[in-house]
Amino acid sequence: MIAAAFGLEVGLELRARLADLYCAYDNALNDGALERWPELFVETCIYKVIPRENVEQGFPVALIYCESRDMLVDRVVALRETALYAPRIARRITSGVTLRSIEGDGLHLTANFTVLQTMPDQPSELFLCGCCQDRVVEDGDALRFAERLCIYDSTIVPTSLVYPI
Amino acid sequence: MEDSRQSAARAWPDGGCSRVPNWVYTDSDIFTHELQRIFGASDWLYVCLEGEIPNPGDFKRSQLGNREVIAVRGTDRAINVLVNRCAHRSMQVCTASRGTAKEFVCPYHQWTYDLAGNLLGVPFRRGYRGQGGMPADFRTEEHGLKRLAVTARRGVVFASFGAPNESLETYLGDRMLGYFDRVFDGRDLAVLGYMRQRIPANWKLMFENIKDPYHASLLHVFLVTFGLFRLDQQSAVEMDDTGRHAVLVSRRGAQEANDATSQMRAFRSDFALRDKRLLDPVREFPGDATVVLQTLWPNLIVQQQSNTLAMRQIVPLGPHSFDLAWTFFGYADDTPEMHQRRLRQANLMGPAGLVSLDDSEAMLLSQAGIDTNDDEACLVEMGGRAVVNEPHMVTETAIRGFYQHYRSVMEL
Repeated sequence: MIAAAFGLEVGLELRARLADLYCAYDNALNDGALERWPELFVETCIYKVIPRENVEQGFPVALIYCESRDMLVDRVVALRETALYAPRIARRITSGVTLRSIEGDGLHLTANFTVLQTMPDQPSELFLCGCCQDRVVEDGDALRFAERLCIYDSTIVPTSLVYPI
Repeated sequence: MEDSRQSAARAWPDGGCSRVPNWVYTDSDIFTHELQRIFGASDWLYVCLEGEIPNPGDFKRSQLGNREVIAVRGTDRAINVLVNRCAHRSMQVCTASRGTAKEFVCPYHQWTYDLAGNLLGVPFRRGYRGQGGMPADFRTEEHGLKRLAVTARRGVVFASFGAPNESLETYLGDRMLGYFDRVFDGRDLAVLGYMRQRIPANWKLMFENIKDPYHASLLHVFLVTFGLFRLDQQSAVEMDDTGRHAVLVSRRGAQEANDATSQMRAFRSDFALRDKRLLDPVREFPGDATVVLQTLWPNLIVQQQSNTLAMRQIVPLGPHSFDLAWTFFGYADDTPEMHQRRLRQANLMGPAGLVSLDDSEAMLLSQAGIDTNDDEACLVEMGGRAVVNEPHMVTETAIRGFYQHYRSVMEL
């Protein structure tokens, strides 16, 4: 379900296409199909995972800072082939997707995210939660993310952030 | 009976500092002693960068050992480091993690302190209509916020719970000071932001990780493949005279196979980045070194890996857990290109770092192995059993140096 900001006229077809994009994003990560994840971005995208305290203070440093789809692919390849990490299941849940405005540079949306993590032999735990600030554009015949900022609320990340958010 | 078992279990194994008994990473009594003798004594602990609190009244909270402090710039522009604890009922007087204040007022009973920690006022100190109030001999000057000894060098603030009998410069020693001044060269620093992670491992494993150049050539595919840090490159491991501080120094090499990389499963001659901007390092410091990682007893790692600069502050939480608080910075006179380069290279560091991710996960797995085998000991013999500076990185000498000092402080 895609909501629209109060007073914004949005047709059902656009809402449905946005819903598909947002579900495809969560599914790529939750299915463990990391290779599908970069395909949901345009070539010259911006993707960041950044703590809320940096955003609030105007500090630019981000845990993940990608300036192109190729950088997303590089990260996926690194996770698949080079990084050491204990096995885990990360489950991303999106809620409250809201189309805030339609501008010349695309559709501006916000959405809450919750990431639950399950380590082997451990109960599932809340890993991170926060808000995405997104810009979505028409790219060929599909909607894709031109910009996705994942701003997490806590200052502390439990151990490591392995998979993208 | 209990006592003799305890002392037998606590006997340091034979082999000096080439063995580290696993109970130093698990025992809660050891941890309590560490808080007192290492974090709560007369050592200089890293607090923050001066640039984080540039103006009078600016404050930032920080954690030193298990104690929480407020670093605040006073009206005289001097930096005060105060324990965040009201003298009355031990309540935290400051709840914001940073901000600007004229004074600190305890929310509970409104005891009020100035920026130097002096107690200014106590409501109803004289009672009300002749009844109640504090005793006549109550003296505000005896009930300020506890104030630490403070020193700063080139924009970096340190504090001590005790009365240090040596300056920061003497504490670091000439050799470490030289490496410190290499990054803190007098230019104004620009904070780029924070990262923080909670790692379920003993705090000493973090130091050991950065004192161990041997693992870097084997574990970190990114470093090895792209030649950022590899043991066939000209390198050095150096310590101060006590062994408590250390530095790993290396210089960048090429992505080419040779007789050393053939022993590194991590070396990938076929691995190439699609977006090369992620690794576009440029030389910015005098000399040949491209990596200098400094471990400063007892709570600081100064990271200079290519163009990524960060303070990594270690906050011990218990035998099995610590926080690693990263403060990324550059220089106020960085060009826009250098600024952008630092942000890109930050992808290698922090909780999601393509390099340091390996380390936080390795520590998690180390602690898991230690917790379930705390009658065993770790072996630290690479490069021999002595504590000496080495002109190469096939050595664990700096871990031995750390434990040489640790054992003397802890009387173990």
